[in-house]
Amino acid sequence: MAVRPLLKRRDLIQSAFGALGTLGLSAALGSGNAAQAAALGHYAGQRTSGKAKRVISLFLQGGPSQVDLFDPKPLLVKFQGQRPGSVDLRTERQTGGLMPSPFQFAKHGRGGVDVSEMLPKLAGVIDEICVIRSIYSFNPTHTPSVNLYHTGTILPNRPSIGSWVSYGLGSENQNLPSFIALSSGGSATRSGFLPAAHQGTPVNHTEVDPEKMIPNLRNKELDPAAQRKQLDAIQALNKEFGASFGADDYLDGRIQSMEAAYRMQFEAMDVFDIRKESAATRALYGETPFGNGCLLARRLVEKGVRYVNVGSGDWDDHKDIETAYRKKLPAMDQAAAALIADLKQRGMLDDTIVIWGGEFGRTPVSESGTGRDHNPYGFTMWVAGGGFKGGLAYGATDDFGFKAVENRVSIHDFHATVLHALGIEHMQLTYRYAGRDFRLTDVFGNAVKDILA
Amino acid sequence: MWRGWLVTILICPSLLAQKLDATLFESKIRPVLAGKCYGCHSSKLKAPMGGLVLDTKAGLSAGGSGGKVIVAGQPDQSRLLTALRFTDPHLQMPPTGKLPDAVIDDFASWIASGAVDPRTAAPSSETSAALKGMSIEAGRQWWAFQPIREVAPPRIRDTAWSRNKIDPFVLAQLEAKRFTPSSPADKRTLARRAYIDLVGYKPTYQEVEVFAADASPDAWEKLIDRLLASPQYGERWARHWMDVARYGEDNPTSEATNPAYPFAWRYRDWIIEALNQDVPYDRFVKLQLAADQMPGSRREDLRALGYLGAALFHKDQRLSADVINGFLHDDWDERVDAVSRGLLAMTVACARCHDHKFDPIPTKDYYALAGVFASTMRAEQPLFDVDAATEARYLAVQRRLIDLRYSVGLLTGEASTVLDSETRVARWRAEIEQLKAEMLALQERYPKLVASLERYWTMPAPRPPAGAAPQPRRRPELTSTEPFLNAVFDAAQYVETADPHYTFINYKPGEARDLAVLRSGNVAAPGEIVPRQFLTVLSKGDSRFLKGSGRLELADKIFTDDRSLAARVIVNRVWDWHFGRPLAATPSDFGVQGDKPTHPELLDDLATRFVAHGWSLKWLHREIMTSAAYRQSSKPRPDLVKADPTNMLFWRMPPRRMDIESYRDTLLRSSGRLNDAMYGPSEDVEAPTNVRRTIYGRISRSRLSPLLKNYDFPDPLQSSGGRDLTTTSLQQLFVLNSAFIRESATAASQAVASLTADRSRVEELYRRLLSRDPSPKELDMALSFLAGATLEQLAQVLLSTNEVILWP
Repeated sequence: MAVRPLLKRRDLIQSAFGALGTLGLSAALGSGNAAQAAALGHYAGQRTSGKAKRVISLFLQGGPSQVDLFDPKPLLVKFQGQRPGSVDLRTERQTGGLMPSPFQFAKHGRGGVDVSEMLPKLAGVIDEICVIRSIYSFNPTHTPSVNLYHTGTILPNRPSIGSWVSYGLGSENQNLPSFIALSSGGSATRSGFLPAAHQGTPVNHTEVDPEKMIPNLRNKELDPAAQRKQLDAIQALNKEFGASFGADDYLDGRIQSMEAAYRMQFEAMDVFDIRKESAATRALYGETPFGNGCLLARRLVEKGVRYVNVGSGDWDDHKDIETAYRKKLPAMDQAAAALIADLKQRGMLDDTIVIWGGEFGRTPVSESGTGRDHNPYGFTMWVAGGGFKGGLAYGATDDFGFKAVENRVSIHDFHATVLHALGIEHMQLTYRYAGRDFRLTDVFGNAVKDILA
Repeated sequence: MWRGWLVTILICPSLLAQKLDATLFESKIRPVLAGKCYGCHSSKLKAPMGGLVLDTKAGLSAGGSGGKVIVAGQPDQSRLLTALRFTDPHLQMPPTGKLPDAVIDDFASWIASGAVDPRTAAPSSETSAALKGMSIEAGRQWWAFQPIREVAPPRIRDTAWSRNKIDPFVLAQLEAKRFTPSSPADKRTLARRAYIDLVGYKPTYQEVEVFAADASPDAWEKLIDRLLASPQYGERWARHWMDVARYGEDNPTSEATNPAYPFAWRYRDWIIEALNQDVPYDRFVKLQLAADQMPGSRREDLRALGYLGAALFHKDQRLSADVINGFLHDDWDERVDAVSRGLLAMTVACARCHDHKFDPIPTKDYYALAGVFASTMRAEQPLFDVDAATEARYLAVQRRLIDLRYSVGLLTGEASTVLDSETRVARWRAEIEQLKAEMLALQERYPKLVASLERYWTMPAPRPPAGAAPQPRRRPELTSTEPFLNAVFDAAQYVETADPHYTFINYKPGEARDLAVLRSGNVAAPGEIVPRQFLTVLSKGDSRFLKGSGRLELADKIFTDDRSLAARVIVNRVWDWHFGRPLAATPSDFGVQGDKPTHPELLDDLATRFVAHGWSLKWLHREIMTSAAYRQSSKPRPDLVKADPTNMLFWRMPPRRMDIESYRDTLLRSSGRLNDAMYGPSEDVEAPTNVRRTIYGRISRSRLSPLLKNYDFPDPLQSSGGRDLTTTSLQQLFVLNSAFIRESATAASQAVASLTADRSRVEELYRRLLSRDPSPKELDMALSFLAGATLEQLAQVLLSTNEVILWP
């Protein structure tokens, strides 16, 4: 269980929750200089023209339906119940004939982008949104597809995009993790072979009390003054020990990270507490679990967290999709739209990327008569802010919304594009492991520059 | 030849200079360009990075999109050199890290002397060779594949320092740099070091003092021998191996098709026992690959097969044959990767889609090895004796029943999933009944076998109609004490393609399967079928596997044809686990992309003697720990910290943070809370009631304990070559605020509460928690702290100090 010597000394004392580099030792003593903390980014490649600094990823686990939300297909009505040869694609389960969307669509914004009637709030900010209707992947089951969505491979052990971005760009706030995952685990948070400091810190945002969100955040016995006294005693002994042992990076680093932890208790109690927002702001987001997650994500990126993943419930509607959507779309619509509007109003949308999507879409053919099966062949994701073109619908699926056919964008292309928007050339963000230089995009991917402003 | 040179000098001095520079280019520059740069800067690429091409003379002199990269004669104006020197944060090459200073100096002198590039025409075959990786013939010359040999110790000036044969090798390199080794650590530090190292926790006050008081000349040797003989040695060192063996007790998804391994803990117990018995390393590994096929192995040895039998897999019968075929290949790939990196420090999995880009591993070799795992099937095997024929049939029936039951459940539960499901379900039910009848005939002889299958022929109740109260879902067992184990047996795996709407995997017991080479790793593009065999570059003579899956032959080859590499790999790992830094810095990659050993002769010599001592790990520990190098103080010396910050030359014992296992175990033991019972099913590490040693904590691949994660526990989804130890504030939140630390503090303070004077309480707390007496100053500090705080708070202060978590 040895320290991997390939790592530089500074990596060893770098932290997830409060980063300390070699420079950090002095930095932590004093200013908490953000520039120094940001210097912990490992990306040494060419800088692209992208200017985005941070990402909020809204992940709708289970797979939202493109033909009911952003990709209208009038021909579904004409061919309702039929099963032309072109839709005879194998998915996870057996499917039947074509099933039209129960929802109406209309064009919105300057660009006239189609949006379902179920998403009025998103329709209102559609000029900030770039809808990509031609995403495709290749596996029809959840776990491998979720892995692919987050890590670029269907394998369960690779680092997620959040870890890559954290690794590449480092942290902007010493007292907070650079990558936080709200109510999402598994491959969404995995750092795989990247240093563990870049794993997503899981936070349970179904709670609103920070103490319940983060384990060990607060001392149950001591008030801050008593705890400070205790910490002073610890540090006094540490200094005694250090004086007899000699100057050592590890010992110094731990002293500093104790201080950072002490400060973090208070900073996190503040940052993670959405109850400190005004009633109006909370109402804007909707005070639903997803709304609270979006609001918390905004608070976090505002404080320098690099990547926030917000997981959203169950979008795996194998049956009764209309009933389910009438129930759950309003909360999602309100929260996602509020996030965009709020970031914009705070002047943060230009350098914050908001991603919306699921591990696949859903079939235009029915399952069980009222539901839709998984569809990796063609589906919709959207991106807002961070240099992406708003009011644009990019790419297209076939006549029925099953397969991406025009300007196809793979998950690897999508990842490459997000990295590009963050100033990273995806081929040059690599990590040496097991004999080769791994990348998020494996051996694939092209940044889609057409959708970047 | 001399004459030729002389003539040249006389005739044309500048020509000679050019010739020398050409030599410099060929010997020092070109290999680095080929090894480090061509991957991104080759004329063969569609879009070379930054428009820069380095594998042609024209490309190198033209530069890239940012302009010229070399100004002949002007190293400081050459951007190539700026990039190599890593002084400009925006221009650093290669992206994987700065090259050694010596290499950069070579580039500087080459540019200073005119940057002579003797290359002529188009990129030579050497360019594509660099991209294609090493040939088998060249590979046979690679350092890691050379036979190990005993090496005479190098000449050293200070002849008094060395204590055994390791030391001259270490000292010679120190002396070459005019360094001196550090003075020996004091005895109390040595006691702490040895306990953490060999048994995985710090010693008690008494244990420290007993050793400190032992003035006999062989006190150190006696301590090592005693610790090596204690059962806790196995508990400590098993965990090191479990990192390499990617030990885990479930699969990353908890879907019904990928259940947990309820008997994985028996594999962990086997590792502990085997290490305590000092089973020779070659046999230790062979048992894990092929205990079922080894002559002289016992039934309980089959527990070792957890190495393969509890490895992760992913299966889902609902999907198309192509998708499932892809999953199977991923599973086999996982085994290839674990075996090749873990045992051979070779990255064979790189050759799945193309010949290895750096190492001498053709794609054919990859599939030849993967075939072994395509012919190996996991199963829950009895821990009691069963005659061979019955057992073989039982294992096959067990696998088939699992798939049939799952399928029946799936199609009756989700009526519309597959067309014509009734016919299929009826057929499968009939097959289940038939297998049940066959197995029931074993009732008298093997009632436990029959009982183990009952769950598979008992059908799930049909799903309740919509609106009815949902049935509680039965969670599959995470752990079980039934007399079974997660092991493997020989069976070829094929994807059944007959039914386009439903996919079974066929297991053909006793058969082996050779795999087709897949073009670009694509299951839809099978090429030539390759026989199962050992890696070509390591093979001596015929390397084909002819017996069953070939697992035993693979295991044998590793320790015959390949014994030098296998010995180097484990000796390097063991050195790493003792010193916190391996001799070759990439313990799971001895290939071109890896790092060469800093002390190659020491590695060779130690490996040779390790083999000569019967692959005895305990011999190796003793040899390493009785060296003077190991006994050095870990204290920093400012001049050497500056000159050799990563301790490449072992001028001291590096001070380290303890790993989570030794840290948690030490906290439990010193606070008097440890339950030191050995062996048995795993328990949740996070559970407040769990006060057993950390090695008995459940290792989940789907939900790894946050505590373990927080302290850099390696991902159990892949073989780990070493832990990255970080220091984070989240760790300190655990120290400051967790119930675990608080309860340890409470237990420790209660244990000393009966003492009346504060002074004796403080002294006793110091003895329990830090295994030493407080200094007068510390005593004063503690007493004044106690004036305003509780004894429990003082205990927590002591438990939170750097000293507690430091491995000195």
